[in-house]
Amino acid sequence: MFRYESLEDCPLDEDEDAFQGLGEEDEEIDQFNDDTFGSGAVDDDWQEAHERLAELEEKLPAAVNEQTGNGERDEMDLLGDHEENLAESLSKMVIENELEDPAIMRAVQTRPVLQPQPGGLNSSIWDGSEVLRRIRGPLLAQEMPTVSVLEYALPQRPPQGPEDDRDLSERALPRRSTSPIIGSPPVRAVPIGTPPKQMAVPSYNQQILCPKPVHVRPPMPPRYPAPYGERMSPNQLCNVPNSSLLGHPFPPSVPPVLSPLQRAQLLGGAQLQPGRMSPSQFARVPGFVGSPLAAMNPKLLQGRVGQMLPPAPSFRAFFSAPPPATPPPPQQHPPGPGPLVQNLRSQAPMFRADTTHLHPQHRRLLHQRQQQNRNQHRNLNGAGDRGSHRNSHQDHLRKDPYANLMLQREKDWVSKIQMMQLQSTDPYLDDFYYQNYFEKLEKLSAAEEIQGDGPKKERTKLITPQVAKLEHAYKPVQFEGSLGKLTVSSVNNPRKMIDAVVTSRSEDDETREKQVRDKRRKTLVIIEKTYSLLLDVEDYERRYLLSLEEDRPALMDERKHKICSMYDNLRGKLPGQERPSDDHFVQIMCIRKGKRMVARILPFLSTEQAADILMTTARNLPFLIKKDAQDEVLPCLLSPFSHLLYHLPSVTVTSLLQQLMNLPQSAAAPAPSNPHLTTVLQNKFGLSLLLLVLSRGEDLQSSDPAAESMENNQWMQVMFMATRELLRIPQAALAKPVSIPTNLVSLFSRYVDRQKLNLLETKLQLVQGIR
Amino acid sequence: MNYMPGTASLIEDIDKKHLVLLRDGRTLIGFLRSIDQFANLVLHQTVERIHVGKKYGDIPRGIFVVRGENVVLLGEIDLEKESDTPLQQVSIEEILEEQRVEQQTKLENEKIKVQALKDRGLSIPRADTLDEY
Repeated sequence: MFRYESLEDCPLDEDEDAFQGLGEEDEEIDQFNDDTFGSGAVDDDWQEAHERLAELEEKLPAAVNEQTGNGERDEMDLLGDHEENLAESLSKMVIENELEDPAIMRAVQTRPVLQPQPGGLNSSIWDGSEVLRRIRGPLLAQEMPTVSVLEYALPQRPPQGPEDDRDLSERALPRRSTSPIIGSPPVRAVPIGTPPKQMAVPSYNQQILCPKPVHVRPPMPPRYPAPYGERMSPNQLCNVPNSSLLGHPFPPSVPPVLSPLQRAQLLGGAQLQPGRMSPSQFARVPGFVGSPLAAMNPKLLQGRVGQMLPPAPSFRAFFSAPPPATPPPPQQHPPGPGPLVQNLRSQAPMFRADTTHLHPQHRRLLHQRQQQNRNQHRNLNGAGDRGSHRNSHQDHLRKDPYANLMLQREKDWVSKIQMMQLQSTDPYLDDFYYQNYFEKLEKLSAAEEIQGDGPKKERTKLITPQVAKLEHAYKPVQFEGSLGKLTVSSVNNPRKMIDAVVTSRSEDDETREKQVRDKRRKTLVIIEKTYSLLLDVEDYERRYLLSLEEDRPALMDERKHKICSMYDNLRGKLPGQERPSDDHFVQIMCIRKGKRMVARILPFLSTEQAADILMTTARNLPFLIKKDAQDEVLPCLLSPFSHLLYHLPSVTVTSLLQQLMNLPQSAAAPAPSNPHLTTVLQNKFGLSLLLLVLSRGEDLQSSDPAAESMENNQWMQVMFMATRELLRIPQAALAKPVSIPTNLVSLFSRYVDRQKLNLLETKLQLVQGIR
Repeated sequence: MNYMPGTASLIEDIDKKHLVLLRDGRTLIGFLRSIDQFANLVLHQTVERIHVGKKYGDIPRGIFVVRGENVVLLGEIDLEKESDTPLQQVSIEEILEEQRVEQQTKLENEKIKVQALKDRGLSIPRADTLDEY
């Protein structure tokens, strides 16, 4: 347990020594590095900023102690006083881009001034200080509402000449600054794994690089008024829509163009009732970092679904407009930009590119929840009502000066990573339970719709777009002109670590126990293999539907082949030989999983094969019953067996009955005691099966009364014997069958007289009233 | 804002008060400020809460950065219901004392048990020595 009583106990001191040692080794590398050797090495402002933050913390508990039971609201107010400082210091802590790095700027200032190019984006970091000087903005204290701007896009201000140098030297150097060596490429200031910073903003003309974040009044149109909250958290501005701060609407990595598939889906989804926007429309559009435009009239949007594609900005509006289904339109507009802005802040990308494989139901839920959130926000802002129904959490968010330390795009970044992990080429394979769950949900809701008269929900067909499967043929690294290959092991090409050699043991060495164990293991392996085949076979139906026409015969063949293999596995493959031994099958049936598997396989087998299985089961039933004592899983076989029985001819049924009851071959032979039958009758499965067989026989008999065929005779003989046996066995300890077929009374009445019939009835409890 | 319904994502939990249970048994309560793809957490205004019986004590800890793999579970704290607890808050010294006492009694009980088993010739390996390795 690593418990530290206080932070001071942490072994930081040891680490510092280590670092210094390292530093000495690197001395030769970069002597011009301001950070290590220059002014950057001086303790800089960020520490003070931290302390200031810490002071806030201290004042916080102090405030709490003073004011008893005022709760957090007062704390927040106190913090609010420091909010400006906080914003300032926070902004100083974060240098978004090396381009605005004071270290570079300072070095650059000494160079001759270049003309700033009108394009804005083209101005490089090596532009002169004159350019930089123009960016000076008013200091925090001078401006209201002071919102710290972390990025670019500052309006031009008259240069404040002599102040500049002072400012630059006073202001903090961030820890991570780049070397100001002229001509070298900007060193990557942050390690590779950090969340992305915002890219350079191309379109803004005045984007001149601010050497450091400066507090200026951003050129915002007046439609974001105070109701949004005077105290905007330091990072909130980034989320404010449409501010040129955010620059390019899409992160460079996301293609704004839809693939034909997505376009088609969009258009397909457009055929909805007016006023409804299907979440599926949103779903397959590549993710946009949401800087939505003003709320568009939903009707406009709906009409434009099909044409929405080209202009990217309007596409964004596509997302951002609150769905018309939720609060009635009048409520949307009067509050003005307030709720809009609130929406935007909470809204970000509704659907990302990688939700393509999400089930429409899933997307619907996502949508619904967003609506709920929006409703909440609307209640908050739109009504302006500070009543009790306001969520106190929302209240906290508004007053929490530490809120949104994690930027929206950082959240997007994390969620993008998580989404990428969900991408799959075959969702049914990778995410079986998720897919099934949502399918079930959908079926449920569809069923409910049929029953009830609820509002007709839109039907979206589940199209599973798949991420393109890239075949990577791994080629090991090779150098030209070298002999041989590098031995490199990676995830795709793992190196063999252990040479495990399989040694087969000779039969003599094994003890009996080992043999049994091995046999069991072999059986288990066979079960597993057969189960895989079974899962494949069960899946063929779905694949069939998804496949193309020409593939289908091949699929069918595959399926047949697999079914044959399954059967062979079950019965023990001995090609060219009869199957005398039931042993293999019985072994499988001794294992619980084997029994369940057989039950699942039976529907796929041909009648002949299935009948064979059934006979084998009947033949060995007492043994199987004994082995099933613990699992009690045999009854699962009843259902497929009963289905099978309907297809069996009379002959089979007769012999089946014989097997089941272990009846002697000829009627004349004296009947010995029949433990086989006893066991069968004492077992639930056995008895149920017996009754089923009898019932089937009766059906056959009664459906064809006139026929005086061999089969009928045989059946009658067997029945006589059967009834004789049944009369013999004691009533006690009869199992309770799963179901009692109704035609048994008529069955028995053929073969026995009245008295015995009654006896049989009571014994087997065939008549309803007795039970 | 709903990022990924049906999945376990912490994005919606940001800026909310959470209770985090760590693998070493500590309970932290703080505002979740930042996460990453490994579910590393940044907790703000964190308080370590020690529970002994019906009493608990809070130790203010400041900012915590927790490596994701050390989190057992975490859950959002409903600020309204937070105060609605039958537990009684006591001072830090008191709770630490209580904890020490509790540990002691536990150790003693363990010792008695082990001794009793030993007397009967049995020995049970202690789970805590195995840890996760």
